[in-house]
Amino acid sequence: MTASGSGQAPPPKKVIPDPVFNEKNGRLLKDTRYWPTEVWANPWASPAYRRGAMLLIGIIGAIFATGWMIGELAPLGDTLYQLIASVASAGGLPQTATEATWIMIKALIILHVVLINGLWAVWWERKISAHIQSRVGPTYAGGFHGWAQTILDGIKLLLKEDITPAVADKWVHALAPAIVVVPVIIAFAPVSFGSQLAAADIDVGVLYIFAFAGISVIGVVMGGWASGNKYSLLGGLRATAQLVSYELPRGFSVVPVIMFSGSLDLSVIAHAQAGYWLGFIPKWFIFYPLVGQLAFIIFLIASVAETNRTPFDIPEAESELVSGFHTEYSGMKWSMFFLTEYGYVLLACFLLATFFLGGGAAPLPGLEIIPSWIWMLGKAMAMMFVFLWVRWTFPRFRADQLMDFNWKFLLPWSFANIAFAAAALLYLS
Amino acid sequence: MTLASFAFYSMAGLALISALLVVTLRNTVHSALFLGLSLAAVAGLYAALGADFLFAGQILVYVGGIAVLIMFVVMLLGRASDLHLRQVNNQWLAGLLVCAVSLTGLWRIIKVFSNVLAKAAPVPTTRPLGIFMMRDYALPFEIISLVLTAALLGAVFFSCAERDNPGAPQ
Repeated sequence: MTASGSGQAPPPKKVIPDPVFNEKNGRLLKDTRYWPTEVWANPWASPAYRRGAMLLIGIIGAIFATGWMIGELAPLGDTLYQLIASVASAGGLPQTATEATWIMIKALIILHVVLINGLWAVWWERKISAHIQSRVGPTYAGGFHGWAQTILDGIKLLLKEDITPAVADKWVHALAPAIVVVPVIIAFAPVSFGSQLAAADIDVGVLYIFAFAGISVIGVVMGGWASGNKYSLLGGLRATAQLVSYELPRGFSVVPVIMFSGSLDLSVIAHAQAGYWLGFIPKWFIFYPLVGQLAFIIFLIASVAETNRTPFDIPEAESELVSGFHTEYSGMKWSMFFLTEYGYVLLACFLLATFFLGGGAAPLPGLEIIPSWIWMLGKAMAMMFVFLWVRWTFPRFRADQLMDFNWKFLLPWSFANIAFAAAALLYLS
Repeated sequence: MTLASFAFYSMAGLALISALLVVTLRNTVHSALFLGLSLAAVAGLYAALGADFLFAGQILVYVGGIAVLIMFVVMLLGRASDLHLRQVNNQWLAGLLVCAVSLTGLWRIIKVFSNVLAKAAPVPTTRPLGIFMMRDYALPFEIISLVLTAALLGAVFFSCAERDNPGAPQ
């Protein structure tokens, strides 16, 4: 660091003058460089920042307005259905056409839940990870806290070259991202986004979600094997072992909830948690002494492991396996794996909110005026924050520790929890 | 043809074609993948017949569990030469005979139950299934779980014995 005194003449063509240092101790006296911190000290002075803020407020307002309309119109869905049916019958179309149109509308809405969640969660994860690590994260794209970063990244991924390795099994390699991403969209069908806000009322909803969430691992294995790369193969093998193992405590931790509510239907489970103890403690399953907290913790840990996120990310451990099973993917195929990851994070968040946090129920009596979908979304987003927080706080497990933790801690305790719940049901009710 | 029967017959066709590909393809991994597809198509058959619990259970156990584990084993133990196996040997006549015998047995069952498609809208089956298993057929259910536990313990015991005795053939 060379200190330039204030007495020296500045170079003629320099627009920004040199910083001024104390000649004795070299301490910075006057910093004239264009530091980003100077911009951030007064961000509202920048017109781009103001424009970005306005745009973002507009987008969020539009999303909320649409959501409000959907929330308010959900009981009117039958009317919309009748309208479609009358149009179909006026045109001489069979009943099947009405059903198909109706299902297609619902499927489109569910698909966009997954897609928009990808845009939002990636940006939020970047900001949270950055602030946890004393950085600031994306800042420039969109002008306002880098809110447009994911959109620009999506465009970049679309324009990237799609590479298939020469030794790859072409068909399996190309199909793997589809097999990974389709189950997460299907698994969202019975998820309730509030009271009476589910695309499909499936009586075995919980089982259905766990069943389809388990299919994605086939795509991971396919991608790992078909890439013709030893790192990918190792990542695929690790992913299989991990996902098949952690599915067990994840499923068994929900069994107490199913036992208390007496149904596999998500809306029935959410409805079973309505009401308050002593007038102010909500009857959520997380507040059931011992059983509720144990089930919540096991389900949360197993869900983090199922999404291959950091304490459990040995399938894509960067320091060992390049990036694991998706090493040989680029462009949109690569982004499919991440769309799936964030889709499963959102699914786990909605499940946590439904199983343990009362679904669309208000936390305190008197707050029911706020629509149930806002409570549901708020709880799911709080859970998503926990997911991101966990990811950027804990170091990675070793492969053997990961298996020990599952088979010697989570699984026995989830069995014990079922026994606790059965005892409570038998002797306390 | 109604939508339900179209779904049923397309799922049946998918199950049969992919099952045929499992036993004819030369690449072991491709066979394992088509096995998963075949099992998923069987789950689709259950859904088309209105058996919702069986559908979810089939996907959960067979597609998400067993097909994945088979693929795991193929990838873990597979050598490059395994990827180009002939799936038939010289004993095809004996194999055909076994197939004929089991097909005759199946045909006698099929004759009784053919054309019995679900007529009414499907009703939830979880609660009746639970009552059947835990009340009416509790003893067979418990015996089956005992047998499965014994098989599990046996597998663990034999793999431990192999590991403790390094001279044993792997």
